[in-house]
Amino acid sequence: MMVLGFDIGSRAVKLVSFYEGVFQKSLIFDTFDFYRNYCTYMEGKIFVDFEKLDIGKADRIVSTGYGRNNININGSETITEIKAHTFGAIGQTGLKEFTLLDVGGQDSKVVHIKNKRIMDMILNDKCAASCGRYLENMAKVIGLSVGEIAGYSQNPAELSSTCAVFAESELIGKISEGYTAEVLAASINYSLFKRIKPLIERFPAESVVVTGGVAANNALLEFIKAETDFKEVIVPQYPQLNGAIGCCVYALDK
Amino acid sequence: MKKIGFTTSIPVEIVFAAGMIPVDLNNVFITAKSPERNIEQAENAGFPRNTCAWIKGIYSGVINCEDIDTIIGVVEGDCSNTKALLEVLELKGIKSIPFSYPGTDTAEKLKLEIKRLCEYFNVNLDECSKVKVELDKIREKLAYLDELTWKHNKATGFENHLWQVSSSDFNGDYTVFSKDITDLIDKIEARDENKSKLRLGYIGVPPIYTDLYDFVEEKGARIVYNEVQRQFTMADSIGIRDLVEVYSNFTYPYSLNGRLNDIKKQIEIRNIDAVIHYTQSFCFRGIEDIVIRKELGVPTLTLEGDKPGNVDARTRLRIEAFIEMLK
Repeated sequence: MMVLGFDIGSRAVKLVSFYEGVFQKSLIFDTFDFYRNYCTYMEGKIFVDFEKLDIGKADRIVSTGYGRNNININGSETITEIKAHTFGAIGQTGLKEFTLLDVGGQDSKVVHIKNKRIMDMILNDKCAASCGRYLENMAKVIGLSVGEIAGYSQNPAELSSTCAVFAESELIGKISEGYTAEVLAASINYSLFKRIKPLIERFPAESVVVTGGVAANNALLEFIKAETDFKEVIVPQYPQLNGAIGCCVYALDK
Repeated sequence: MKKIGFTTSIPVEIVFAAGMIPVDLNNVFITAKSPERNIEQAENAGFPRNTCAWIKGIYSGVINCEDIDTIIGVVEGDCSNTKALLEVLELKGIKSIPFSYPGTDTAEKLKLEIKRLCEYFNVNLDECSKVKVELDKIREKLAYLDELTWKHNKATGFENHLWQVSSSDFNGDYTVFSKDITDLIDKIEARDENKSKLRLGYIGVPPIYTDLYDFVEEKGARIVYNEVQRQFTMADSIGIRDLVEVYSNFTYPYSLNGRLNDIKKQIEIRNIDAVIHYTQSFCFRGIEDIVIRKELGVPTLTLEGDKPGNVDARTRLRIEAFIEMLK
């Protein structure tokens, strides 16, 4: 049986296929490109063009993400991101009890999982200062990419603004004070961590599993290890595909 | 007949006894053609952006209402912003009558507050009690509509919410209100039972969202209890003639402990699985959430609303995930 999982995020669309219960293939598209190149519009609805996607014929399709209720995927079932990420993290790590941190393009979600069940969850504040978009914008201010700032965690300077927009002006202030690019990169990463810290500390556990594109930010992982009580910080094999994998795991589990 | 606005539930019997029309200003704001415009108007007048939308909406609601020149402002027991609101409205020529729900020595001080209000409107307690007898007949219907929601599973969460929340002023005319609710009850009684299993309670001030109840039902759960709206109906004081006793029983303006006891009792009676605690952005009641979450002992989802309109995408996601979590 072929199962397809769609995670239609604000920045990227992730697509994963499982064949006979085994991970088969994955595709990642820029959200805008995906809408433009692989979707058609009919009578106010959006349909996905599977022929163009060239991913084979699916027996079951499950979708999640911000676009889940807007994109009409023929015969698909939709589930919330919280559920998809929970199934994905359980499927990828095999853990039963943990705190899940998913840092996506435009929000962060923290889920408390016990005995493979969602016990509680919390989302970031309305401000974008605790999500991937914040890292992108801040990195741009110092002329680097998200990937380039990801490794810096030493001697961060304080960026105190709670607002993503004001943090940018504060960063510009730090540039004028002569801080090095390394310190500025570490400061950006640290300011992201500080916004995430109170969210994950709400749900103490042995392990915190980090998913979403931002899981590739090593500095964030370093800060979590150094400054929280979690004994283990786990990044599954496919952090960015976690939601889409979760859709497949959900389909196979049902 | 002269209209009298008020900022949150007051002993409405006094206004009716005086032959005047009580108007809950929150309802004026939220049912306005464009509630968002009311907020803008208040902000343009100088209200800070980081103050409660209800205060701003009430301000513009009164200013835009040509036939309201006198309001009763609840300055103790509800929101301390109301004091400043009254001061600003005085500037605009609106006469305001402060009213308090005293937190200490309640019975004694509330008696004085009620006496003062009666004197202002030139009515006596006997006249108020006569009105109360009439209102109690409607309150019994409201209690029955509530039962049609939680016991008989026939009324929708929104219907129950709407009629409960409207009982603060009985839409200005309790005779019409009585007829309308009777007609509605007849229709609801004829319905089949809604077998949706997940039963939610709604606690905190009424939501600023317009589609919360319907959204929850769309997701397979039902709100079968409204804490504050039910308090507005004064259902626990039906048959009590003494207004001081009636409005001392009203839990909302007093201690959090009193509210918690009421909520816990209703959770048990109504067999409620989980609770949505709604708070308004910038309101002190958001801090009380800490205590509520610790004390209730059922899963609690805290929602914070700011501007009027439909439930926003993020809050929708949280509600959906909460309901999924409970299933």
